[in-house]
Amino acid sequence: MKINPAFAEKLISRFIKEELSKFNYKKGILGLSGGLDSTVCAYLAASALGPRNVIALIMPYKNTFERDVADATDLANRLNLKFHIIDISPMVDAYYTNFPTESRILKGNKMARERMSILYDFSEREKALILGTSNKTELLLGYGTIHGDLACAINPMGDLYKTQIRQLARYLKIPAKILKKKPTAGLWAGQTDEGELGLTYHKIDKILYQLVDLRKTKKELISEGIQKKDLERLIELIKNSEFKRHLPPIPKISARTVGHDFLYPYDWDK
Amino acid sequence: MKIALAQISPRLGNMRQNLQLHTDYIQKAKKKNVDLLIFPELSLTGYSLKDMVEEVAVDPQTDPLFEKLKSLSREISFVVGFVEEKEKGLFFNSAAFLSKGKIAHIHRKIYLPTYGMFEELKFFGEGKNFHTFPTQFGKVGMLICYDFLHVSSSYLLFLGGSELIIAISAAPGRGFTDEESYASARMWELMGEAVSRFFQSFVIYCNRVGFEDGKSFAGGSFIYNPGGQLIAKCPYVDEDFLVKNIDLDDIRRFRKSRPYRRDEKPELTLEAFKRIVAKYED
Repeated sequence: MKINPAFAEKLISRFIKEELSKFNYKKGILGLSGGLDSTVCAYLAASALGPRNVIALIMPYKNTFERDVADATDLANRLNLKFHIIDISPMVDAYYTNFPTESRILKGNKMARERMSILYDFSEREKALILGTSNKTELLLGYGTIHGDLACAINPMGDLYKTQIRQLARYLKIPAKILKKKPTAGLWAGQTDEGELGLTYHKIDKILYQLVDLRKTKKELISEGIQKKDLERLIELIKNSEFKRHLPPIPKISARTVGHDFLYPYDWDK
Repeated sequence: MKIALAQISPRLGNMRQNLQLHTDYIQKAKKKNVDLLIFPELSLTGYSLKDMVEEVAVDPQTDPLFEKLKSLSREISFVVGFVEEKEKGLFFNSAAFLSKGKIAHIHRKIYLPTYGMFEELKFFGEGKNFHTFPTQFGKVGMLICYDFLHVSSSYLLFLGGSELIIAISAAPGRGFTDEESYASARMWELMGEAVSRFFQSFVIYCNRVGFEDGKSFAGGSFIYNPGGQLIAKCPYVDEDFLVKNIDLDDIRRFRKSRPYRRDEKPELTLEAFKRIVAKYED
């Protein structure tokens, strides 16, 4: 599942540039977390649009991820991006004063949607199109907050698995300290994706690649030595997150219905 | 003979802008004394049309757009891709060969890919036949994209006496490799090489580039001579305008040294097909 990183860079940069120009945008905007995916996306956007046409929003909650904020700031400076640091604590805390919770999931989702809300606000203020930073692994597993970090206008890296993004990141020579970080959704301190998913990305991607890209059956994969329990867990995650990959269903009543038989491309007249 | 390939990226569903794009390339080709210019599949409309199919469909016999194209073809021959409304409400994914102010031939795509990311059968009717037709350059056969991936299509053109096989395409790239291209590029080139070598025709493949709804059309257009040799190739994914001189005498040369066409036995194939088809069950 090795990619040719030069080709991937060329293709994704071209996609970003072409898609923005179709919709009459010059600028792109993204949330920069200091992690691998948003860093790679920032590199690609900077090469596609020029660094001064890329706006990075660094949106920490309190002081939970100080090192990431420092890394993100450092990166924005290094790439010469326009950037803003926006503390989301007042908005999130104001909400939880009225609706207190100790649930990390609820808090994490709220933060992800707060960041989304700010990105869309800045998108309009700055006339900049939102670049999503989701990768194929998390899209397939549904490892993201619907209408939160999954919300975007275009999703440039959505067809690259996490390990392929790592390969691209090495090719792009992103800072080693970012490359070495343990992947985290940043929903709470100490959270890691691999800890939560219970498998390493290396293992997950190997399975997903065979299951999705090579269309192998469950039976074939088990006979090739993949653990049944791991495989079934991943298939469950894929199934149970299908709703995150669709527009909500509409009950069909009329002769022609949005989503059913009113069918136009996204790039209509573009 | 001078051939040009316009590896372009049309605007999806905008005929006015695409006609302008075609006109620009036709002028450019004229300046270079090109004899035959090839545009990709659905070059006048874009590919992922869905419900727009009916909105961009034209009847080439009566539509003013084709009047314009016909007049442009007085000094240069060219192939365009478009949505044809053959009868009222009947739509085809078609290719037109224009020459000397007229439409010399229209091919209606027969193999409409409808699987995975493709949904052509939902929106288009199927063509019925592969024809070769005479031109000032020799006998020509046209194919559209997935037609070309069915070897029987080229075989029928070969039996029809094709000298130039023109395949126009809107093929999205798929799959990664170690190289700076899509894995699917190899598939087209392999077919180009095999068809040109064994059916002893020039194979001229014109693919498009650009993105539509994230699908990336892979470019990599090419020309093979009738001996299976690659003689011209456009880059992958980049827009390109390629001009190439070809020697039509190559056809005679390769057929003299390896008389595949003379020795072909279509009657035998026909009888064998009949037997095979008779045994088909539901």
